[in-house]
Amino acid sequence: MGKYTLNVNGASQTVVVESDTPLLWVLRDTLNLTGTKFGCGIAQCGACTVHVNGVPTRSCRTPVSTVGTATVTTIEGIDTPQARALQDAWCELDVPQCGYCQCGQILAASALLTSNPHPTDADIDTAMARNLCRCASYTRIRAGIKRAAELAATATPANGKRT
Amino acid sequence: MTHDSNAGASAMDRRQFIKISALAGGGLLVASGFDGAAHLAVAQAAPTAGLAPVADFAPNVFVSIAPSGAVTLIAPNSEMGQGIKTSLPMIIAEELDVKWEQVTVVQGDLNPAYGRQFSVGSGSTVANYTAMRRAGAAARAVLVEAAALEWNVKASECTTANGVVSHAASNRTATYGALATKAAQLPAPANVTLKDPSTFTLLGTRITGVDNRKIVKGAPLFGIDVTLPGMLYATYTKCPVFGGEVVSANLDDVKAKPGVRDAFVLNGIAGLPSGVAVVADSTWNAFSATKALKVQWNEGPQVSQSSSEMAEQAVALAKANAPASLPAGARAVEAVYHYPFLAHATLEPQNCTAWLKDGVMEMWTPTQIPSSGQGLVMKGLGLSAKDVKVHITRLGGGFGRRGSNEFSIEAAAIAQKFAGTPIKLTWTREQDFAHDNYRSNGWHFFSAGLDSNGAVVALHDAYIKMLGGPGDMAATGFPFNAVPGSEVRSGKLRGGIPTGYWRAPGDNGNVWATQSFMDELAHAAGKEPLAFTLDLLATVPASPRFDANKMIAVLKLATEKAKWGQKRPRGEGQGFAVCFANNAYVAIVADVAVSKAGELKIKKLTAAVDAGTIVNLSGAEAQVQGSMLDGISAAWFQKVTIERGAASQTNFNKYPMLRMNHAPPVVDVHFIPSSAPPTGLGEPALPPAAPAVCNAIFAATGKRIRTLPIADDTLKWT
Repeated sequence: MGKYTLNVNGASQTVVVESDTPLLWVLRDTLNLTGTKFGCGIAQCGACTVHVNGVPTRSCRTPVSTVGTATVTTIEGIDTPQARALQDAWCELDVPQCGYCQCGQILAASALLTSNPHPTDADIDTAMARNLCRCASYTRIRAGIKRAAELAATATPANGKRT
Repeated sequence: MTHDSNAGASAMDRRQFIKISALAGGGLLVASGFDGAAHLAVAQAAPTAGLAPVADFAPNVFVSIAPSGAVTLIAPNSEMGQGIKTSLPMIIAEELDVKWEQVTVVQGDLNPAYGRQFSVGSGSTVANYTAMRRAGAAARAVLVEAAALEWNVKASECTTANGVVSHAASNRTATYGALATKAAQLPAPANVTLKDPSTFTLLGTRITGVDNRKIVKGAPLFGIDVTLPGMLYATYTKCPVFGGEVVSANLDDVKAKPGVRDAFVLNGIAGLPSGVAVVADSTWNAFSATKALKVQWNEGPQVSQSSSEMAEQAVALAKANAPASLPAGARAVEAVYHYPFLAHATLEPQNCTAWLKDGVMEMWTPTQIPSSGQGLVMKGLGLSAKDVKVHITRLGGGFGRRGSNEFSIEAAAIAQKFAGTPIKLTWTREQDFAHDNYRSNGWHFFSAGLDSNGAVVALHDAYIKMLGGPGDMAATGFPFNAVPGSEVRSGKLRGGIPTGYWRAPGDNGNVWATQSFMDELAHAAGKEPLAFTLDLLATVPASPRFDANKMIAVLKLATEKAKWGQKRPRGEGQGFAVCFANNAYVAIVADVAVSKAGELKIKKLTAAVDAGTIVNLSGAEAQVQGSMLDGISAAWFQKVTIERGAASQTNFNKYPMLRMNHAPPVVDVHFIPSSAPPTGLGEPALPPAAPAVCNAIFAATGKRIRTLPIADDTLKWT
């Protein structure tokens, strides 16, 4: 048992849990942030994706004891222009089917759009291949990322043609 | 009037509904549930019912209109990605004549007043279509009556649109909200007139899912997200060998692990597989302690089962069930097709939350058949229906898996030992793979006869599958119904492996085998496959069940849209397949490329579908796209093998599934315009996708895939 002070969605959170507890279960059971999903427990499906220092990370294989002072961002807290554009595009194009994987998909895609504002199909394949969608909504996920790239370009002066 | 947060109403609640509704003038009251965050918050704050404004107009259990104009519609069925939480309320809204933007959809709990709440067999829309239309039309009729009385005009002179009643002659209008209080005092109409489908304005349009905004924000919608005050977390460990039972377990060691509140054996409860429960203060502590669990099992008779032994059984069964000989002089074409067991692998592992308080078992269950979960708990724990309340959560995938409800009785049996404390049971992914109701493996031993002109004069099949479960096949469907004297004889493996409903049961394997063999037969006959199939379809006798002309229409449309028949270089090819399922007609064309090294790329899928009236174009298209890729994922990668009476695959690292990099860049879906009632659509596009791909692989490489998954074989060519 250990006491850990985490930086989650911009707030300092102190939790007392077993040191081997994955970040996933601290988020879900201790902090009641259930948008981060349990899918496999072995970093194979991507449903548990969060950002740790901005990098998409499998929270199911990230022991809480290794997080330290890193910034953790979950679907409940992410508020970048790219993430907002993805969330809007997901709603506009009706991307979700069951929806269980979609928080992980959006966090993976937001990291992609942050580093690569106009990804090609091949870029999308590479960045998104680690996130399983059991409903196979890939056709619309791909379209959603492209639509979000347009929305983000319009919304963000730094990236866009409009100011 | 009353809103009841526990829509899984007890008998007493229902009597109360009827009593109050009689006072209100004969209409039924709304029995609404709460969903998502609101649901959970309500469960935490005030588990009993809240009260809605007295003046709400609630003409039946599905519709409520407030004086503010807010329209609340109940979605009675489980949402698992098939879009039913959006599409059933759309049907009500169409007949009610309200703007979709006015509508708030609330997930119904289990409640007999809602009718058929099963979400299986692509049947939710089919079974509820007329009931939803009538619910909307009845409410509309009362609102019109209220306006007519108010204005002292004939109801027949009034029209409705966008939540407003109008009387053109006197130039008067009133919103539904303004009429709600008066309408609430009027009796429900004895008869209602439904719209002419050609006048529909909402059905057939693209409406996005009602929960989308919550989903993309990570709101708690799913069963696994349920959070209740003082909740504890449980795991339940069953024998890895199917049907095995606990003899003893190191319970004291497990109880000493961090955070563990209790560990105990459950045996002898009807409907509950024998196992060991571990209850802890977090999911992780329950999972961790379970790793330390050592159980002595009585493995039982299934330990002798293996996939390789089943293959031997299948050959012997095929000999014992050999169909009739081919006609004299016919040229024989024979082939054996085999597909493996499949897991459902819903991305949300099985789970259920149960809370026994004051003698009532309240449950939050991601289930496709809530009444069957309730029934299991009633039988296993000796409770009556009024004492088992079921809230339907969103499901993180269904695919048939959540038609069985063992997680319900597991959670409830554990909760019974912790009276007063909510218990959330979560299966590990490994438990989910080990205790599925798998898609049965199957073998088809085909034998066909061709005459000297290449015409099919005989078509027989010895079909072998696991004893029990769905998937039986007769010689009545296409293409067997195109060949007089066709025979399908079935032999059954000895059973004992749990098999069940996997999306498009039976068809998901049988259509792959049959449609692949038909392509093989066309080539053997020296015929172009499309012409060969169209010729066969033209010979199918007319029947009220199957309209060959509809199949011809979808096949022509799909092949035309896909530019069928264009010359392609070696290593590229097209294939097609057709399927009739859930009364829908589907044709799919696949365009593939196979590199010399054997790497498969699916370049494009083109589907044409006749599914009758399309309720929600966005949802319908998503179902066809998703089910095609689901079928291809299964055929390309997936296989459960049985060794020592247990599944060998334990997680996604050993059970690969289709990923973004495998998904074709183009997936086109075309619907045939129709005013016929809607057919099922959650499943029928799945079965023909895999044979279309396999037939395209043959066109590209000359390699015929007769055993799944495709990835087990090499597609190299020179």
